[in-house]
Amino acid sequence: MKVVIQTEKLSKHYGRGGQIKALDELDLEVYEGETFGLLGPNGAGKTTTVRLLNCLIKPTSGTAKVNGCDILKEENNVKRVTGMLAESPGLYEKLSAYEFLEFIGALYDVPNDILKERIDDLLKLFSLEDRRDDLLEGYSRGMKQKVLIAAALVHDPPILFLDEPTSALDPRTSLMVKDLIKKLAETAGRTIFICSHILPIVEELCDRIGIINQGRLIAVGTVDEILGQTKTKSLEQAFIALTGGVEEKELLAWREHRAASA
Amino acid sequence: MITSGIRQIRRYFPYLVIALLAIYVLFLAPAVAGFFIDDFLAFIISVAAVPLIQIILFMFFFYLVIFPISDTLREVKTGQIEIFLAAPVRPSDVLLGGFFGRMPFYAIVIVVVTGTLTALLRPLGLGVAQDIVMIIVFVVTFLSAFWIGTVIAAILRTRLGRTARGKDIGRALSIVIALPMIGVMYAIIGGGLIEALVNPQTSGTVRTVLSFLPSSWGAEIFVAFASSPGNIAAVGFETTTRLGGLIVFFAAALWLGTKVANRAYSLESMTFTASRAKPDGLFYNTVRQVGGGGSFGTLLVTSFKDYGRRLENLSYLFYVVILVVLLTVFLSDPFSSPTQPLIMMSEFAIPMLTAFAVGTVSRGKDTLFLYKKTPNGLSRFVRAKLLQNWLVTTPIAAAVTGALTFLAPEVTPISLLAVVVAGSLRAMGMVILLLGFALLIPVFAEESRERMFGVVINFMLILFVTIALDFGFSRFGLNFRTIVPYLDPVTATLSNNLAVTAIIACSGALLLYLGKRKINKIE
Repeated sequence: MKVVIQTEKLSKHYGRGGQIKALDELDLEVYEGETFGLLGPNGAGKTTTVRLLNCLIKPTSGTAKVNGCDILKEENNVKRVTGMLAESPGLYEKLSAYEFLEFIGALYDVPNDILKERIDDLLKLFSLEDRRDDLLEGYSRGMKQKVLIAAALVHDPPILFLDEPTSALDPRTSLMVKDLIKKLAETAGRTIFICSHILPIVEELCDRIGIINQGRLIAVGTVDEILGQTKTKSLEQAFIALTGGVEEKELLAWREHRAASA
Repeated sequence: MITSGIRQIRRYFPYLVIALLAIYVLFLAPAVAGFFIDDFLAFIISVAAVPLIQIILFMFFFYLVIFPISDTLREVKTGQIEIFLAAPVRPSDVLLGGFFGRMPFYAIVIVVVTGTLTALLRPLGLGVAQDIVMIIVFVVTFLSAFWIGTVIAAILRTRLGRTARGKDIGRALSIVIALPMIGVMYAIIGGGLIEALVNPQTSGTVRTVLSFLPSSWGAEIFVAFASSPGNIAAVGFETTTRLGGLIVFFAAALWLGTKVANRAYSLESMTFTASRAKPDGLFYNTVRQVGGGGSFGTLLVTSFKDYGRRLENLSYLFYVVILVVLLTVFLSDPFSSPTQPLIMMSEFAIPMLTAFAVGTVSRGKDTLFLYKKTPNGLSRFVRAKLLQNWLVTTPIAAAVTGALTFLAPEVTPISLLAVVVAGSLRAMGMVILLLGFALLIPVFAEESRERMFGVVINFMLILFVTIALDFGFSRFGLNFRTIVPYLDPVTATLSNNLAVTAIIACSGALLLYLGKRKINKIE
């Protein structure tokens, strides 16, 4: 299988003397047509990985190739073949959904005739056609998320990076997005890189999973392989076993002093 | 961290502020007042005293009313209201709590103003009782103003904070709300307002209106005391009625404010209507064509829509135009040559106009990342911003410069055209410099208040650059009149202006290049 994302000791350090290792020597391969899930607790380095692979930030050391293009030397080529749904994406709130998608399409130089048709189709898919001319400032969080997913798809890129794609979505849209991701991978041969906290979604959608903690990739493989490595029965247990959790006796510890004085 | 040292001594700040205020009231204010006291004393017994004191107190009153309103409108937030309403607290308590919570800051303003005015009164030989009454008058007047402002701000916040459109209106109002006061100030300084008020035949209505305002009641006590210093009994009736009126007014305002508090804290939706985008008309289609019609045309239109649909941006432009009108009407001498309006525009109005229009480039890093994640996105972002700002500022600069030049004597069509072109080019040059500067030292502020800070810094910079270049060259004899003596004054002034514009534009191009590199590195 063709490798479309390949990282070599990819690192990103912040702070004085590079004390904070947001990403530490990541070695990873993602194959064409694969749906890959990157799991990790808050601040583990998931978003940093996605930003590095989209050339939004530069690595401290190491490098990566996306669709054969080096992220350090061929920025524009990398950006051309990727679509990205960011964790905290920017939105032009004074534009309507249609105008925003038109703007994103223009940024990727999508030809005008294709763009108009595609925007109409995407708005229909996400049930936004009735509110296509409403300014985004009046949209709910879930509706904005729909627009942002549509924006990541508008230039139909071969590689998609989706950071928490179903957060803020209602169950019906969430199911639709899951089906869409499956179809994009299975039928259209798109490579999809998902970052998420929602384990069932990752378990259901992803061919392979990587678990990252404190900037280091600590496990990678299929769900079964990870369960085997950690000798656990569910992905949740495997995740806790690898990244650590809170002990049961600590859960209500915060009440103890008040209860004693009451 | 640089500020960590300050943080350690933060607990002593209140004592430091009290000490500084005491030094000001007891020593500094009397010393400064001493310099002006002869003129002031002569003035106080003159015929102009009543209207002037009325206007001074009215302006303080008006300013203290609009201060909390403007501050609230700049960033209308309703998130806290939800927390208050969920808790077992009465809305009136929340309103009073907010007012008293801000009291230390208001108290600083009141002490400074009261201290200054009391120091000015001292040589009149007022008795202790009169001094105390005057201090009570100032404190009650200013507290009334702050309270009224707080109540109006709370009501407006609730009304406007429910919709994105309302918040937008709030930000726009926060900018233009000060214009009436600026107008009055300019009218006093250069418009002969005081002289008009002194004249009973021309100022009847204004004086009557002013006398109804509580700020005037304090002014009347002030003048009554000045006429009989040390003898409060001689003006007992005036003092009792005016001071009583002020206290009753404050009590009534407090009572009424707490009564309307329930209206001020409500999350009931007033409308479900969402703002809709209309199909692109002639204007946006023209802008798209100016941008080449293709992808870049779409980016330019997007940039324009994001700018033009924010009332805050339009109110900045309105503010600058009105300020120029007020300056021209009240403060500037009649124009003596066709290039004088160009000088006024170049030194003040165009820097302000361009600084307000360019703003802080991007509202947040996330919006910038939209461009960063696309091929050649940043270059196109900078180009779109440059063109959009040119399209906003150049027509306004041209129109205002043209209109003012039209009023000047000896204007020929050629000189009018030349001045308009020079004004337009100056605006374009300044946009390049400001955009470059804003990219080099970017302020990624979502909040209007923080963005305003960035805009003011940019305005100061461009003002300094302009004055340094225009006056600096002239000071060192570097002007076209010296180099080419036979040039007529109009051509020489125009040439000087264009030379400075060229320097501004070239420096701007360098900053733009460096700024683009800087913004490319932002993570």
